[in-house]
Amino acid sequence: MKKQMFWARIISLIVVLSLLAACAPKPAAEAPAAEPYEIAVVVKITGIPWFNVVETGVVKAAKELGVNAYQTGPAQADPAAQVKIVEDLVAKGVDAIAVVPNDAKALEPVFQKAKEKGIIVITHESPDQVGTDYDFELIDNVKFGQHAWDQLVKYMGDSGEYAIFVGGLTVPLHNFWADTGIAYAQEKYPNLKLVTERIPCGEDQELARQKTLELIKAYPNLKGIVGFGSLGPIGAAQALKEKGLTDQIAVVGTVIPSQAAPYLADGSMKEGLLWNPADAGFGMVWLAKYLLDGNKVVDGLEIPGLGKATLDGTLIKLDAILDINKENAASLGF
Amino acid sequence: MKKLLNRHETYVFIAVVVFSIIITIINPNFFTLENLFDLLKSYSLMGTFAIGMLFVLISGGIDISFTAIATVAGYTIAVLLLNVGDHLNIYMVFLIAGSIGIALGFLNAVIIHVFRIPSIITTIATLNIFYGLLTVITKGKWLYGFPTWFGDFATTRVFTLYSAHGNPYGLSIITVIWIGLVFISWFLLRFTILGRSLYAMGGNVNSAKRAGFNIFGNTAFVYSYMGLMAGIGSVIQALLVQTVAPNSLVGKEMDVIAAVVLGGASLTGGTGSVIGTILGVTLIAIMGNGLTLMHVPALWYKVVIGLVILISVGVSAYRRKMSAHKRVIIEND
Repeated sequence: MKKQMFWARIISLIVVLSLLAACAPKPAAEAPAAEPYEIAVVVKITGIPWFNVVETGVVKAAKELGVNAYQTGPAQADPAAQVKIVEDLVAKGVDAIAVVPNDAKALEPVFQKAKEKGIIVITHESPDQVGTDYDFELIDNVKFGQHAWDQLVKYMGDSGEYAIFVGGLTVPLHNFWADTGIAYAQEKYPNLKLVTERIPCGEDQELARQKTLELIKAYPNLKGIVGFGSLGPIGAAQALKEKGLTDQIAVVGTVIPSQAAPYLADGSMKEGLLWNPADAGFGMVWLAKYLLDGNKVVDGLEIPGLGKATLDGTLIKLDAILDINKENAASLGF
Repeated sequence: MKKLLNRHETYVFIAVVVFSIIITIINPNFFTLENLFDLLKSYSLMGTFAIGMLFVLISGGIDISFTAIATVAGYTIAVLLLNVGDHLNIYMVFLIAGSIGIALGFLNAVIIHVFRIPSIITTIATLNIFYGLLTVITKGKWLYGFPTWFGDFATTRVFTLYSAHGNPYGLSIITVIWIGLVFISWFLLRFTILGRSLYAMGGNVNSAKRAGFNIFGNTAFVYSYMGLMAGIGSVIQALLVQTVAPNSLVGKEMDVIAAVVLGGASLTGGTGSVIGTILGVTLIAIMGNGLTLMHVPALWYKVVIGLVILISVGVSAYRRKMSAHKRVIIEND
């Protein structure tokens, strides 16, 4: 009798467990009568702090807006690998693709393909992108480029030699900022002298460090470095610290605040400028959902939490330049 | 003299001297102790990897996976430094990273020996496995903000000098570590039976086997040694930049292999020397450094490096071909 009870218990446990197991995934499988939109965000390179922060915005948007939004991208900042990923997403038939391009030109054909399949295409950090429905910018890139030079001048003075780091020569935005900044400097700060072509080391700290050491020797009168790409200014600051030159050469540029905090604190880096990458992730997904719902983008569109946007052709712009200095770097949360 | 002219290393050395003279004429800042010490420090990483690669190439193999091994080792010590950094010291850091390197290198050797998969295929596969697993587990998060003692050790100089502008410079402790590795490796290759047997094995594995050399033992040794160098290299990298980024090393394999080949090692095995490897790394280093100092835009760097490798290895191969004409070779497989 006792033995029977024992087996009855075991069997009922198993039955209940298997029922539970069978039930558990069911609500998820049945609920979406209308399946949530699938929105893929393709970044330049996965697994670097910058895009990890972007991803938090993507995840936040997915949760708040009830869409299936996720982030992906190549392991190296490789234009061809990125195109391949976008091609796969088009073949898979997602609803919208948001891309932070490595190479604006390389993506044009696959954007065309996406459009033919009725997929919404949004880009970010690529203001002159051809083939996108909308390019979404958290900042006015002309103002941003100029602002970098204003920061530089604030610390090195309005005359002297300086150099520019970019992440790569095909990264659209870095080179756009460099172009506008150089043009702006020619007009406003005619005594600034760019010593050499922009150097592609902004995404490699060790290389940026080494290049800075070389620049110091090649151009002994160097007074400033503007770095675009989150590791360029850090590598430069590190080299200056090693050489005890933090007072002679001013470093400004785009950085992750938490990583730059020690360099800003000891003065080897003077100031940084940026926007909040999480906002970029959120904004792209929000915009994709907004368009998928059949809404039209108009001038003055209010994006929740990000403010009012201006519309210029296919360019949607917010104005959210963030100055990073030793006071706020550690407390910004990314 | 004639013997010297027959050696590949001599030509690399001449190239180093010629380039140094040209760069110095254009910018005298090149030929200074300060620049020398800076270069030695910056290229300690490539130099360490290159020594490991030399052993593998001499034995007739190749290892593509060392950057991934270094990444795994570097990431592990970074996690440890961030969590229990106060209980560690620099010896333990090197020991841990080195052990991880040896373990993963040994794994390569076992796969290569047991399954008889060509080393290039094996290590391309393990590169992807090691690196892939690491990115899966870590999500590629960067690690920085190490304990101060770790930063202090990195800036330690054996002696300090001051430039005309009052900037401090000197021989970095990192360079000293590298020089130590160079001497050990030179001794191993030159004066031990193990070292000589690596040349025999790379020259002709069947003869080496018949001569009674332990082929698996040798294979295990070279890949473990490469792993050890990768582990030590990972610490050097962490010391240099004070950041461990999973994607900062993978992708640089070819630069290292190019430097070793430039220094006279052959991809078919059996040749190569420590001094040649140092010269190869030196040539790559002064080319990169010199171009900036000569005010050449950085974009030209890759073109020039490619040409230098092609010309150097080409000249060497051509000389071999010429001397082969003079000999009669009986091949018997």
